[in-house]
Amino acid sequence: MKSRVVIFLLVIIFAADLPFDARAQKGPGKAAVTFEEVPPGASGITWVHNNAHSQERFLPETVGAGCAFFDYDNDGWMDVYLVNSGASDFYTPAVPIKNALYRNNRNGSFTDVTDKAGVAGGTFGMGVAAADFDGDGWVDIYVTSYGRNILYRNNGNATFSDVTEKAGVAAPGWSTCALWFDFDNDGKLDLFVSSFVKYDKSQITLCTDETRSRHYYCVPRLFKPSPSRLFRNNGDGTFADVSKASGIADSPGKSFGAVATDVDNDGLMDLFVANDTMPNFLFKNNGGGKFEEMGLGAGVAYSEAGKPRSGMGVDAGDYDGDGWQDLFVANIDQEFFSLYRNQKDLTFADEPGEIAPATQLLSGWGLKFFDYDGDGDMDLFLANGHPDDMIEVRLPKVKHKEPLLLFDNGGAGFRNVSAQSGAVFSREFSARGMAVGDFDNDGDLDVLVSVNGDAPLLLRNSGGNRNNWLGLHLVSTRSNPSAVGASITWQAGGVRRTRLKTSGGSYLASHDSREVLGLGSAPKVESVEIRWPSGKVDKLSNLPLNTYVRVVEGEGVARNGAAAAK
Amino acid sequence: MFTALLKYPYPHRSTFASLSGNALYGQLKAAAPAVSRLAVFATLFAALVTPAAQGQESPSVKRIEQAATLIRDNRIAEAELQLNSILKVAPNDAAALNLLGTVRAKQGRLDEAETLFSRAIRADKQLVGAHMNLAYLYLLKRAPEKTALELKEVLRLDPDNADALHKLAWLLLSQGRLDEGITLIEAAEKTNPLPASLLAMLGDAYLKKGVAAKAEESYLLALDRQGENPDALIGLGLVSRAKGDGAGAALYLGRARGVITDSPDLLYKFAMAALNSNLNGDAMAALKRAIELQPAEPSYHLLLGITWLRKPDLQEAEQAFRASLKLSPNNPSAQMHLGYTLLKQKKFAEARGWLEKSVQKDTGTPESFYYLGLIAQEQREDEQAVKLLEKAIQLAPSFANAHIALGSTYLKLKNYPRAQQELEIGVKLSPDDSKAHYNLAMLYARLKDNERAQAEMRIVERLKSSGKGQEKDGDASAPSTPSPR
Repeated sequence: MKSRVVIFLLVIIFAADLPFDARAQKGPGKAAVTFEEVPPGASGITWVHNNAHSQERFLPETVGAGCAFFDYDNDGWMDVYLVNSGASDFYTPAVPIKNALYRNNRNGSFTDVTDKAGVAGGTFGMGVAAADFDGDGWVDIYVTSYGRNILYRNNGNATFSDVTEKAGVAAPGWSTCALWFDFDNDGKLDLFVSSFVKYDKSQITLCTDETRSRHYYCVPRLFKPSPSRLFRNNGDGTFADVSKASGIADSPGKSFGAVATDVDNDGLMDLFVANDTMPNFLFKNNGGGKFEEMGLGAGVAYSEAGKPRSGMGVDAGDYDGDGWQDLFVANIDQEFFSLYRNQKDLTFADEPGEIAPATQLLSGWGLKFFDYDGDGDMDLFLANGHPDDMIEVRLPKVKHKEPLLLFDNGGAGFRNVSAQSGAVFSREFSARGMAVGDFDNDGDLDVLVSVNGDAPLLLRNSGGNRNNWLGLHLVSTRSNPSAVGASITWQAGGVRRTRLKTSGGSYLASHDSREVLGLGSAPKVESVEIRWPSGKVDKLSNLPLNTYVRVVEGEGVARNGAAAAK
Repeated sequence: MFTALLKYPYPHRSTFASLSGNALYGQLKAAAPAVSRLAVFATLFAALVTPAAQGQESPSVKRIEQAATLIRDNRIAEAELQLNSILKVAPNDAAALNLLGTVRAKQGRLDEAETLFSRAIRADKQLVGAHMNLAYLYLLKRAPEKTALELKEVLRLDPDNADALHKLAWLLLSQGRLDEGITLIEAAEKTNPLPASLLAMLGDAYLKKGVAAKAEESYLLALDRQGENPDALIGLGLVSRAKGDGAGAALYLGRARGVITDSPDLLYKFAMAALNSNLNGDAMAALKRAIELQPAEPSYHLLLGITWLRKPDLQEAEQAFRASLKLSPNNPSAQMHLGYTLLKQKKFAEARGWLEKSVQKDTGTPESFYYLGLIAQEQREDEQAVKLLEKAIQLAPSFANAHIALGSTYLKLKNYPRAQQELEIGVKLSPDDSKAHYNLAMLYARLKDNERAQAEMRIVERLKSSGKGQEKDGDASAPSTPSPR
């Protein structure tokens, strides 16, 4: 743990050397906050996703792939990881297909360091989850696949080692989303892996149109469900598969998005998992290593008519500021997306408001609650795209490529602000994974979208930092290294807000682990309180504005803890 | 000239029905075509001339003829001068009074027209044309009872008056006075063989009464009189449908479609029958053609919207309902349908606006209150939702969806006993409604009775796999499709 602290101090020194300043205007901004695409020529991210598209249309082709913001070299700047397809039992690439790791050059551009880092993958990749699973101060990555998953341990010298077998987390089959969280509050990061359907070459079903002249992507209803996996971290680089013992495996699903959150505020992280053509799962953590699936009673499993929908992306966040975690699920076209308001008694009410009509014809994957404009409220970004590339033949109003959407939370519900939030919202994509992170360290959160069969989108937030902000990098000493489950309460301008540090969310993606607190126009942060998963509470005061600070569990703000002051 | 004037176009039955201003014949309330006032006056004018002319001697006959010609040529002011000059000399000239009444009606001065027609009748009780005109006028004034009285008087004076017979039969059936209508037509048939149109109308009456065999007999007789009478063919299609003979229904409706070419009213009627026989594509095509022919008819757009709901294509349905409301902004049925369509798209604020407009004009449609209840439920106004849903149930105690929605609202309110009560009523009324079983499952899950919860979900699954549940999910809450009969 100590080494992690030292490393971070070094990071801070580097990070103080800031390359650019997006804070053109201070105070409460009236101009729209926009997301500007950073083109490959400027970002250096020239990697393109290969979806292995075939005439047979094997289902895994249309499901991937994911992306991550994470800091692999501990320099305080978000690097980028992108997942690609690869060899599988139905696909043999003509040339090797690689995942990609891009190092942040701290000037808005990135350098491909995949080969040097040794994280090219080689499986038919799906998603990625980044976290320091072994607590050595370096962020590791877990790549899910159709086939074998890979756990890359960060060696701390810009290289990684594949430790999958030793760790026991290969989880063969078809894994989709993964997330790191500490379900038993033992201070170590455990691993949840969503499993999609049972699918292998010997059982592959191919679907054709009425004339049998063309294949299309099969509806997952045709395939059998598969239980997701839960791995308990043994703390020695190995994991125990507790899927059965925990009760997770009692509920086979066709699982995509997953988020770890605490829906009943009992200090134990629960899991909300989206299923495609099956009821969603809400695994309530009952403690003692046991989960209870209670999606039906909670009202988050089915549509209001009792129909299972095609759940894909999910997230959790307290959008209404009542101190309780709400949930979001994106479904396929005509099914509407669901915004589940937590009714504080393990039941939820589906109240999507303006989001519903805007998404009626869309299919959602990557999505995230985050405060894009620094006003303190959790906004919502949605990345969409229909999985069937021939959908327009059957349903002309539904498009294969779909627009991104941004909803602003004004405190009284979500408002669609896509039209005024940048030219990228007028374009259409086959978006899948979506990660959130502040890649330029300017205090507003940027977005990375992976696109099926195409180049990813790096979207720079422009103007989100016109409001004041405070970035927190939580460094655990007793709690899990990602501080998942930490509750942050802050007061600024007389307004008190709370945020739970969740894990996962979105789709096949992993996010910047720092928390950026939006302060609005408040001239100072009056207080910050961090309730760590271990139970420790740190109360902070006299905090700087518009900077990242490092907060060490039990110690408060670290000396020289200010970083990235703008 | 008078002969020519007599050949006024007889308004099609649905047009005639719409003149009453109500949803009349066959409960076509949702979609009864309207007719322009001008067309009615043209009919009025034509109806009065011949009897008037027949009752006059020269030279006044000649002057009456001139006035009639002026009216026909829409030279109203000149006609009025001519008629006034006649009446100056002969204030009780029945024919002149009748024609002047027509002039007033054309001017929209209906009360004066009524006075003039009444004076004409007082002057000449045998003046059939004046009685007919008064009958039309009462239709315009939304007084169907008085219309019927006048038509009966015409038939008393002139038992062979086919127009009056047709109109009276239609009016009676429009008002749901089926037995009276049937008696009227059957009595007339005993005297003289009736035209196919009246026999088809008789078939419609029997069909509406649920006497399919008699309906079929009447339609077949109509076909004997007129080989491919479209009304009879449509009726036979519906009889086949009622007998569960889908193929037969498709066959008859196909024949009907073959003979209906460019009559918007018949296309509309055909569409409604096709819709009720689940021939949605045929209904759609017919309505599109009807709209091409008569784009300003709101009821065609309304039925087109209902057809789109069947697809279902909510966006197209919304467009059609908006088109209907643009032409007829105050139609509560169109307002309700648009509200429902917006509700299904979760555009709650606008949906509420249209539904509230609808219930202001029509407080007797339980669906409107049900939809408003659903919106209140969505908007976290649960107490209001309870009130609205209870209102819907008050209007229609066996409205299963309203009971289920009420149960679901109580579930949200954590009033589990009331939730269970309402949901169980819902299941009793509509055993194949998957939403009811799902809500019961959720209720039992919350009560920690997992066994019963799973049992209910198994029913949901069973319904889904049998197709019943899915069908219900799609359409259970939709406004009922207008009945063609």
